[in-house]
Amino acid sequence: MNTRIIAKLDVKPPYVVKPVHFEGLRKVGEPAHLAKKYFDQGADELFYIDIVSSLYQRNILSSDIIKTASELFIPFAVGGGVKTVDDFSNLLHMGADKVVINSFAVQNNPNIINIAAEIFGNQAIVVNIEAKKWKKNWECYTDCGRIQSGKDVIEWAKDVQQRGAGEILLQSVDHDGRRRGFDIDLATRVVNSVDIPVVVASGAGSLEDISKLIKVANPSGIALASLLHYDQLTIKDIRNYLRNEGLMT
Amino acid sequence: MSNIIGIVNYGVAGNIHSVKKAIEKAGGETLVINSASDFKSVDKLVIPGVGSFKSSMKELESDGFIDLIKGFHKPILGICLGMQLLAKIGYEHGRTDGLNLIDAEVKPILCDAKIPHMGFQKIQVINSNKLLKDIEKEEFYFMHSYEMINYTNILALTSYGNHSFVCSIQKDNIYGVQFHPEKSRQAGIKLLSNFIQLENN
Repeated sequence: MNTRIIAKLDVKPPYVVKPVHFEGLRKVGEPAHLAKKYFDQGADELFYIDIVSSLYQRNILSSDIIKTASELFIPFAVGGGVKTVDDFSNLLHMGADKVVINSFAVQNNPNIINIAAEIFGNQAIVVNIEAKKWKKNWECYTDCGRIQSGKDVIEWAKDVQQRGAGEILLQSVDHDGRRRGFDIDLATRVVNSVDIPVVVASGAGSLEDISKLIKVANPSGIALASLLHYDQLTIKDIRNYLRNEGLMT
Repeated sequence: MSNIIGIVNYGVAGNIHSVKKAIEKAGGETLVINSASDFKSVDKLVIPGVGSFKSSMKELESDGFIDLIKGFHKPILGICLGMQLLAKIGYEHGRTDGLNLIDAEVKPILCDAKIPHMGFQKIQVINSNKLLKDIEKEEFYFMHSYEMINYTNILALTSYGNHSFVCSIQKDNIYGVQFHPEKSRQAGIKLLSNFIQLENN
């Protein structure tokens, strides 16, 4: 099956922003506008992460999500500050197909994953892992790479699968926004540790970075942000390249 | 002649919004079915699907929708879990009776590849039909961990991880697709348009 190519919007309402190392935000556009642009380019999916709602302890903004979903006929995953079953339900009703959760599950109550999976089905639950390298391992961070959790990434990945997560979004605090390549070791370790799909984000800077990730780690999907936001490449360019490399049909 | 597409809203888990806008994009007029009395106002029925088999059947039951769906004699389209609910029995979070409109069971996908099965994939049409007309060669978006197991009423198959499974069914007025047409770009809109154009008798 072809690797999914996913456009990821990191949103600080009302704008899509691009953090570098999860810090130093730059505005890159409006969510609905960029969503439409990537849909037209042939993205397989769209991820929408409100990167400040958890940190500011506020609810995700509904009007932006509804507007972003309105012209999108591909899967749409939404996250940011998700804590309760009602948060899951509200986002699904706004047009999300999957809900992305991180901080609350890692820092407060991992059982929210079990409960949500039972109600909404595993396929609707995406666990976002923000990994930061520490010695030879990686630690889970939250709130946009600001807060440590003390949890080991590999152990947590296995745990969330056990609890019913349908997918993992794997981000690297060290590589994010730098466009110097993915953390391939991290991606390989996580992909090989779980049986659920893993979408790898953080670090794509060139076509070669993407093909290397697919060849070595073979994740189910790759999530791209900066590379697309700055029009360095389009999704069509990436697909054509991967077809030529024999990595996609 | 009216041709209103009713979308069954069964509580917390449906992705009503996405299905509604895709049907409208395909040129259909929609009515979200929130109560039993709404059934008489619609000419076709779509059962969307995001959620688990067990909790969805429970919702349909407490809403009083089960007999109304079973007694609906115009076209019905079940999407993803909505298709699975048409089966006799489901095995997600324990054994649950389904709508029993199709002789099938719903079980976890057993194959070598990663589960849930997620992503765009081509389908293989076994019986040509009006629902899949002109989109037989397109790819559609799948997002599921369970599959419908049946040996009759099959319209199309898909393979994943060396495993072939049913991805579209039909029995009389009842249609089902395992993939999400509302999430499958132009091909999905075309499928919904094909459904809208089916005759209502």
